[in-house]
Amino acid sequence: MNTDDINLAYKIRHALDEQLDHLPASTVDRLAAARAAAMARKKPDAARFGFASGAGWRGIGAFLAGPTVSRLAIAVPLMALVIGMGGFYQHEQQQQLAALADIDAAVLADELPLTAYLDPGFNAYLESQQRQQ
Amino acid sequence: MATDKELNDFLQNVERRAFKQAVYAVRKDESALDIVQDAMIKLAEKYGDKPAAELPMLFQRILQTTILDYFRREKVRNTWVSLFSGFGRGDGNDDDDFDILASLEAEQGSAAAESSADQVERTQTLRLIDDEVQKLPTRQREAFLMRYWQDMDVAETAAAMGCSEGSVKTHCSRATHALAAALQAKGITL
Repeated sequence: MNTDDINLAYKIRHALDEQLDHLPASTVDRLAAARAAAMARKKPDAARFGFASGAGWRGIGAFLAGPTVSRLAIAVPLMALVIGMGGFYQHEQQQQLAALADIDAAVLADELPLTAYLDPGFNAYLESQQRQQ
Repeated sequence: MATDKELNDFLQNVERRAFKQAVYAVRKDESALDIVQDAMIKLAEKYGDKPAAELPMLFQRILQTTILDYFRREKVRNTWVSLFSGFGRGDGNDDDDFDILASLEAEQGSAAAESSADQVERTQTLRLIDDEVQKLPTRQREAFLMRYWQDMDVAETAAAMGCSEGSVKTHCSRATHALAAALQAKGITL
């Protein structure tokens, strides 16, 4: 676009702006009401609800400042839950270790080399033995 | 992130122009007000936490989408109306018979009649410009208004319209030439 076109575009813009001042009062009021409705439903600032912004810390502060009985009523079950989960995790780990040790022992005690199980012929032999039994 | 004040100021700044944009598209003041309200609420609800610099582009995009939704709903509604009833079909075609000269005469008979001759002439000129902008093809009008009325740059306009920057330049150029030719044909010099 050349300079004349741009000048014309801005003159038209000026004319359109001039018309905005003559909008009916009812329309202007309705637009203001629409704006107010939009502002009332504005998306809340994410940081405002974040832990680091202070809401989370304020919650902990309020909890610590509360009565001793209510603090215990929450803290004891929480502690029990944490200890229980820790114990369960430890037990599961022990079970897994024991199972792995059994498998290792069985493999090491076997006379057959491990590569025998990879041989398709040996597998076919085992199956035929099982069928005969 | 846009503060409440920034968002409020932004909406206050664009609301009248957005209303006129919607009127150009749908040609009904009531529907245009509903569209602008919907667009404002969508912007505040979904993008209220975006930086203030992104608001113009986002708002224009939402406004265009809301206008498109309006036309889709109207199409569906008209389909059902035409299926079940033959009444009231003439209502939507009233705009085709709209005579700018008749409306200008009516204006002269009321508020404008009290003003000076210059003011009447100025009012008529503004209305003719308004009419010519409304007559532009939709995409040309959108590009022209975003670039020169909403102060958006080429990249922002392209993002809001969902097209390339080259297309925006082409639409703007064609719109300006069309307006220049139309105003010249009516003897209007700006």
